Amino acid sequence: MIGKDNHQNGWLTGQTKSITFIVTKDCQLACKYCYLVGKNSKERMSGEVAKQAIDYIIAHESDFLEESVVWDFIGGEPFLEINLIDQICDYIKIELFKHNHHWFNSFRFVFTTNGINYNSDKVQSFIKKHKSHLNITITIDGTRRKHDLNRIWKTKEMEKGIMPKPEEERGSYDDVVKNIPLYLSQFPNASAKVTISSADISYISESVLHLYSLGIHEVNINCVFEDVWNEGDDLRFEEQLTELADAIIDGGYYKDYACSFFTEHMGKPLDCKLQNQNWCGAGRMLAVDAAGNFYPCTRFAQYSLREKKAWIIGNIHDGIDQNKLRPFLTLDRCTQSNQECIECEVAEGCAWCQGENYDAADTPTVYQRATAICKMHKARVRANNYYWNKLFRKLELEGIAKEEAEKHVKKSNPEIC
Amino acid sequence: MVTRKLIGQVTVDEKNEIQMLFERRNGLNELAKILTADNAELYEKLVKDLGETGTKFQAWWDTMGEKYRWESAEGGNWEINFDTCEIYLVTNE
Amino acid sequence: MLQYLIILLDDTSYSYCHYSDIKTERRLIGLDTLKRGILFAMKENLNIQFVYPDYELPEAYREVIDSIDHTDIKPSAVSDGADVVVVNGCRSLEQMTVDIGVSYVLRTDKSDLFANYRLIMEVLTQATRVNVVLTDVETFTDDDFAGYKRVLGELSENVEKLYVGGKTPQLNILTDRMMLDRMNNCGAGDNNLTLAPNGKFYVCPAFYMENETNDVGDLDSGLHVKNKQLYKLDHAPLCRICDAWQCKRCVWLNRKTTLEVNTPGHEQCVAAHLERNASRELLSNIRKCATFLPEREEIKEITYLDPFEIKEQW
Repeated sequence: MIGKDNHQNGWLTGQTKSITFIVTKDCQLACKYCYLVGKNSKERMSGEVAKQAIDYIIAHESDFLEESVVWDFIGGEPFLEINLIDQICDYIKIELFKHNHHWFNSFRFVFTTNGINYNSDKVQSFIKKHKSHLNITITIDGTRRKHDLNRIWKTKEMEKGIMPKPEEERGSYDDVVKNIPLYLSQFPNASAKVTISSADISYISESVLHLYSLGIHEVNINCVFEDVWNEGDDLRFEEQLTELADAIIDGGYYKDYACSFFTEHMGKPLDCKLQNQNWCGAGRMLAVDAAGNFYPCTRFAQYSLREKKAWIIGNIHDGIDQNKLRPFLTLDRCTQSNQECIECEVAEGCAWCQGENYDAADTPTVYQRATAICKMHKARVRANNYYWNKLFRKLELEGIAKEEAEKHVKKSNPEIC
Repeated sequence: MVTRKLIGQVTVDEKNEIQMLFERRNGLNELAKILTADNAELYEKLVKDLGETGTKFQAWWDTMGEKYRWESAEGGNWEINFDTCEIYLVTNE
Repeated sequence: MLQYLIILLDDTSYSYCHYSDIKTERRLIGLDTLKRGILFAMKENLNIQFVYPDYELPEAYREVIDSIDHTDIKPSAVSDGADVVVVNGCRSLEQMTVDIGVSYVLRTDKSDLFANYRLIMEVLTQATRVNVVLTDVETFTDDDFAGYKRVLGELSENVEKLYVGGKTPQLNILTDRMMLDRMNNCGAGDNNLTLAPNGKFYVCPAFYMENETNDVGDLDSGLHVKNKQLYKLDHAPLCRICDAWQCKRCVWLNRKTTLEVNTPGHEQCVAAHLERNASRELLSNIRKCATFLPEREEIKEITYLDPFEIKEQW
């Protein structure tokens, strides 16, 4: 008798360190909601910088005791640097093995890509070579009209600051969607990442259903954290989510498809003692850029920041200054929240991004929570309540008790950064 | 047609043990694609490790099969779900 | 709650704390600015502390200063009438005439302190209070901490003898923790602010010396301390659970080392805990010889030197 393992579920359950390589600040697209204000085609990581970063991390194993590691590659568009990434991945594997590092037994290479180069020979050859350690998410925002509203091709004029007229914009939907069948054939359990901005709220419901129709069973979706929301957006958002809830439940999608907007655990008040954890993982992660500087998360690199100076915690030559990490590692929910957030009746599930908090704060601090997302969270809670009340009642009428319901509903695994 | 039948469950610690070996084996197999015999020392280490990991891997299934007395079938194999620690008998009918 | 206003009389006013005397060109505060600063303090019910340069002020300034109850912080070169005298380096203590009733601030670094700490003992036999300020604490290594622990131990033996002999001089790094029953930190940004010669307010003199654009308001528009909750103890996750109550909890050093005003660096925490532990030992030893501070509880024995090490237990 030969034992086998269910590969798709294979991942250790202990703590995971996320290490991000900002391999390029370039991208083929110029998405209108992109928080990366400093994208450019010049800052590309060299193989030497990547190696020195890996050497530092491996040599300091006692500072990185997490059971597992995610080597995350981000851009811009990471697959623009597929040759470099391939070299880095080879080097990581060899060095982990050579040094008997505990991460050799538990590592992944993770990518969030715009999907445009996905079918290229180089990317396909990379996937074949590293398949058992890959986790790739393609960003596709939904229907053509939603996707193309924001995710447009960059033009040469844009680099000079000249923006195209709306009728001249070229969407990227066709260039991405053509690669979805290949993607799903290689990663059948793959999920899609969707971003919501003010302009595309009206297309949320059709977009999630469209992604399901493409064969994507898990849609991770979130509103941007920046202060971009307009009057009435919350009501339109709630309406869209309610429509989506009806479609998912009436169409029976909940059995095999998940959407991260709907989760049982949200919308309750939180206790400042018992539920005081920070939401965001900044500081527990590590990012390195082309210059060899280390950051508590990629969102603290200068190209991600509108207003503030980069929060550099060290570099590949001098190592990590642990003092610069202390504020992140001692940060809790209530200390950074205002009184309204602390007393909020629907606080549970309200997310924040530490980088956006820092960028939007009145002083250079990570201890001031940005609240631009407040009304959108409250709208989501109302729709979420509707979803679960309707679903539980439906299941009940089918003879399934509430306690048993979770066996009949596919859960989403919202990615928390 | 492939059928999967639930035949047992292991403890979380036992699951962790085989999962770690599974991850290591995957890592070694991928490493074998990039390491060449030019790097003699490391190549030798890899070959040795592949052998040892394979042995430990099979030993786990043998030990667990013995311990839990799982059902088996001609031409079938056992499979573990790392999320649930459940063991399945997979057969091709 | 704001209680104190520190007024820097000149850009060359002597540092009495961690920050260095960066500005070398004299810029005396305008007389009108001085008067308005005093008026502000009176209306806000604040106690004023004047920080002096090393030259005599014009008569007109002295008259204005004397128009309000205040504390004078002066360098030893012009220490007449000072409430607090600042000296740089242990060697400066040798030539100093000690006045009873005056507090002395000794600004020292590790090499000076480790070599010359015995000079502090001589001053303590005469002075009421000595405040030691370690100007390079953020650079301390493990070896330096070992050295500091040794110095504290030796100073403690001498302080113990003085106390047992009936004298009760105060040495901040050893005796403050014995006397306290709660946090007693610098309080910059919370219970005190600084008025600089340019007429602007700062969290403390160090923020002014570092960069004049760090201001938190001015005499014309008033105070605008943004995120002022972060200067309070209850918004400092590491400090609010800490019992090194004598720690300066220097917000300027915090920001310099960790980039956050509410988060101390490792070195500040360890130095403060070495002092706390030395105080614990001192209190225990004095009590073996006499009844001392009976209303105060024992200082507990703890196993860490940096509260960050036990953050998982909070």
